[in-house]
Amino acid sequence: MEFWTTSIGVAKMRPMPSALGAGYENFVRDAVQAEALGFDGFGSGEHHFMYDEFMPLPLQAAAAVAAATSRIRLSTNAMLLPLYDPMEAAEMAASLDVLSGGRVSLGLGMGYRPYEFDGLGTSKRTRGARLREAMEVIRLATSQERFSYEGKHYQYENETLIPRPIQQPIDQWFCGGTSLQGARRAGHAGLGYWLANSPFDHTENIVKEYRQAGKEAGFDESQLRVAAFKDVCIGSTIEEAEGLRKMLIESFYDEHILGYGYLVDEDGKNLYNPPQEHPLYQRFIQSLYCGTIEMVVEELKRYEALGMEMVFLPSQQHELIAKEVLPEFK
Amino acid sequence: MRVGLSWDMDRFEEAGAGWQDLLAEVAQAEQMGFHSFWIHEARERAADCPEPATFLTYLSQKTKSGQLRIAGRRVTRALPAHIAEEVSVLDTFSRGRAGLAFAPASRQGVAPAHVHEMIDFVTSSWAVDEMRYRGEHLRFPTHTPDDAPPGASVPEVEGDYRPQWEWGPETPDFLSITPKPYGSHTPVAVEIDDDETLEWAAQQGISPMVGADMPTAEAADRLARYREVADKAGRTRREVEAVLERRIALDGEADERRLGGSPRDILNAIRSLRGSTGISHFVWRRGEATPMDLYRFASEVQVLLQA
Repeated sequence: MEFWTTSIGVAKMRPMPSALGAGYENFVRDAVQAEALGFDGFGSGEHHFMYDEFMPLPLQAAAAVAAATSRIRLSTNAMLLPLYDPMEAAEMAASLDVLSGGRVSLGLGMGYRPYEFDGLGTSKRTRGARLREAMEVIRLATSQERFSYEGKHYQYENETLIPRPIQQPIDQWFCGGTSLQGARRAGHAGLGYWLANSPFDHTENIVKEYRQAGKEAGFDESQLRVAAFKDVCIGSTIEEAEGLRKMLIESFYDEHILGYGYLVDEDGKNLYNPPQEHPLYQRFIQSLYCGTIEMVVEELKRYEALGMEMVFLPSQQHELIAKEVLPEFK
Repeated sequence: MRVGLSWDMDRFEEAGAGWQDLLAEVAQAEQMGFHSFWIHEARERAADCPEPATFLTYLSQKTKSGQLRIAGRRVTRALPAHIAEEVSVLDTFSRGRAGLAFAPASRQGVAPAHVHEMIDFVTSSWAVDEMRYRGEHLRFPTHTPDDAPPGASVPEVEGDYRPQWEWGPETPDFLSITPKPYGSHTPVAVEIDDDETLEWAAQQGISPMVGADMPTAEAADRLARYREVADKAGRTRREVEAVLERRIALDGEADERRLGGSPRDILNAIRSLRGSTGISHFVWRRGEATPMDLYRFASEVQVLLQA
């Protein structure tokens, strides 16, 4: 199982004011350190028009990391593909793949914040279908010298991608949140499925659903890859770990999970600033695992046993994780 | 005068090794004092670079002082906000070394007004926070109504401040492009192949650029014409940098598009062009030139341009 991670440098956090230029330097510095510590991948998320200056173009951030590293995979987590022309996204990914010696992994999501679609000028309503079509366009463009594609939203005739990437096709993951519906869609399409943070039991159910859908669609088990975001907070006691989680929630997650419609109910409706007692919010909080080193290793072993190809660990405690956790998986 | 480099990508057989050669050349050139490095957006030959911002962001970590310029940017493939954002991100990673030059409308098969609107939108988005934009070719956000003022407009200050996390599912009428560029005055230029763009850029104080494919005599005429229009519009030289890109044949023959001859001949040609057109930034478009050519140009032409 691989371990990927990130840095908080590509946005400013309200309780910890900082200069964005210094944050970008820290982002590259953290990537260099993560590579030296033995992490396997490093990435950035994507948001637009944010007061905290969140990174809008994660592949561009990855280009800076590519120049300063030599081994670590360069991921997007997630790149909001419906906000791009598919060939523009393919060109960015292929350019970075050439510059980095074939180290690009695209974590691709459909986005959920309405103002991002309105600001960039694409439709939110069709984002799910466009994500799946665009992923197929990228697969074809990066694996064939010339390709044609006839979709509902995108059409190409005898198109070619320049430059030719080193990976053919470029590694892609469908970042599908934590809904069973998303898992089924990814399984039916045979796309690698990268789950959002969720408690282990829920993760296990989603993985089963994904694999079942994939098998029904005729995909071999080896093609049905799974990965997960897994925030862990490590302390010498559970109380200490929970203190770290509380800090993360108050300084980042409360705003980002509650304020922008991240949580989605059973009817597919985005929830804006629901009460903190809401079961979906509580499930998210429980997904941020707190424990001692031994407990965190044990928890991650369950993910390994589930067949996870990769877990994406949080931006903090890199040195501790490298020293105490990663060796348990070598 | 500033002196920079750009590249004919058809000198490379493929992107992999070719781009590594280019990166090595940039490292040498920065040591020799070249001021800027321009990557043209193109997608025709195997080693072309369709995403200069990605390439230059990589380069931002391999260089210390060189200006990093996106050249020949097209308005049709990337979304308008993406273009504003990519320059901001490059400028922040490079600590204020980014710049942007647009391809002429005629090369893109779009109306000149489309390019003008894009430049207006991008530069406005860097200058103000919340804004909307109503143009003939682009709107930001997309729900901006027909009765909004033309071009960029900003909201009236009214009522209590409503933080972003309280917006809910509604998109506000005004949005802010973030991050802003690291520097306050990010260089923006446009190639002035089209008369309409030449006049518009001169009147608006947008820097002119003439690319390597235009014959030198025509390039000089157009840059001189730009200056005339700018002077009539009350624009001063200090507002803009006039950029001329040329190929060079050191110890070779000049032709209608290429400067040639001895280093002294080339030096005199550039100085003459500066005198007649007011160019302040010369870009050498490198084709088959060798590393020794780079050194000779740096030591025998570049340092003497000011002498």
